Amino acid sequence: MKPGTRLKSATCDTEVMVIRAGQGTIECGGAPMAEDKQSAGEPAADHAQGTLIGKRYVDAEATFELLCVKPGKGSLAVDGTPLVTKDAKPLPASD
Amino acid sequence: MSAPAIPLTRWAQGQLDALAAMAPGAALPEAGALLAERAMLHGLTVPGDVSCRGGCRFHRTRDGWVALNLARPGDRELLPALFHTDAPVDLASGFAPLDEAEAVARGRLLGMAIAGLCERPASPALATSAQGPNRPAPHRPPRVLDLSALWAGPLASRLLRLCGGEVVRVESRGREDRLRDTDPRHFHRLAEDKRSVALDLRTAAGRARLAQLIAQADIVIEAARPRALRQLGFDADACVHAQPGLVWLTITGHGIAGEAANWVGFGDDTSVAGGLSARLHAETGEIGFVGDAIADPLTGIFAARAALEHYRTGHGARLIVAMSGLVGEAVARDPHLSQDLTAWNARRGHPVLAPEAVPC
Repeated sequence: MKPGTRLKSATCDTEVMVIRAGQGTIECGGAPMAEDKQSAGEPAADHAQGTLIGKRYVDAEATFELLCVKPGKGSLAVDGTPLVTKDAKPLPASD
Repeated sequence: MSAPAIPLTRWAQGQLDALAAMAPGAALPEAGALLAERAMLHGLTVPGDVSCRGGCRFHRTRDGWVALNLARPGDRELLPALFHTDAPVDLASGFAPLDEAEAVARGRLLGMAIAGLCERPASPALATSAQGPNRPAPHRPPRVLDLSALWAGPLASRLLRLCGGEVVRVESRGREDRLRDTDPRHFHRLAEDKRSVALDLRTAAGRARLAQLIAQADIVIEAARPRALRQLGFDADACVHAQPGLVWLTITGHGIAGEAANWVGFGDDTSVAGGLSARLHAETGEIGFVGDAIADPLTGIFAARAALEHYRTGHGARLIVAMSGLVGEAVARDPHLSQDLTAWNARRGHPVLAPEAVPC
């Protein structure tokens, strides 16, 4: 996947720009994203945290980095593993 | 009389004179000194196609020119996406095959501070997005809460301080004003005589304290992109509707309407987006920057004048200042701009001078 490729969610309004990508399937709302708009219904319940415009999303190894250019209800993942916002800190184990 | 060192100084002086008229006895600096403030601190020279501090550069596109500001860490990571390629590519060959408008649109989508030589500002200098309940015109100096960083917002609050206002500066933990480290002398000059409060806006306690500070303020100054405040749970329009007489000043690169709300802008690239470099090109045939991040000091001066003017009426409002639109207005209104640009261009490579230092 070339940097600069623009991908659309099949489950919501989310659109991302690929900053960096490795091997794997980029998904939103639990369904693969594509350059052309596909329709796969609503985001799956466990992939429906939503995306925020302007945020950069990465995987744990920072192999993938996606920039959200249009927000939506689904959440981003690669091969089923959720991506996190680049500046997000892990939550504390307990309060 | 000698020509002002930096073009648009006379327009800026008009704004400062209007500010001074509202604060009799205030000792305000001259516009020429404010526009040249950083250049004088660092002995900067009149720039060509690379900005005074080197962060913003012009690049040739297939049909025109873009100015790209790589001001923040992480901006360079976006270049492969900007040029749609896996291979390493230098900026000159990356931009060469692109159209100016296409390169600008693509860069802005990626959140880069970029502008096209030929573009027109997306928003007017000043817009009002909300009107608040009125209160009787106040007869005391304003309490100013400054949430902004870098140059434009802090200059606006510094001028309001010089006009007698009390200024509280919020330092956001985890998102500190980088100017403190990158340019401590300029930072301290802008922060002079202001109180400061450090808040962690990532915590509920920090956000609650911010809400209290807003409730005590007459003028709030911020320069966050609209979505950043919303994501923290603050709605500026709602604050203005709820608090009689509150003047909420939002400083933006390109306004808050439509897609432009998400565009980033800094002092040099927004001066290009406002048409100042296009005018320099029309007058001299040269591609270059005018002033040192000139949209920043122009915006600080204009914003202080607009905020104090509103405060004194007692009419609450949210004022949206767009840096590119403001440069566009100054370019359209300064009657001496043509000759000042010619003089500016002739001094390329020579020190930027404050007016009193220009030999007659």
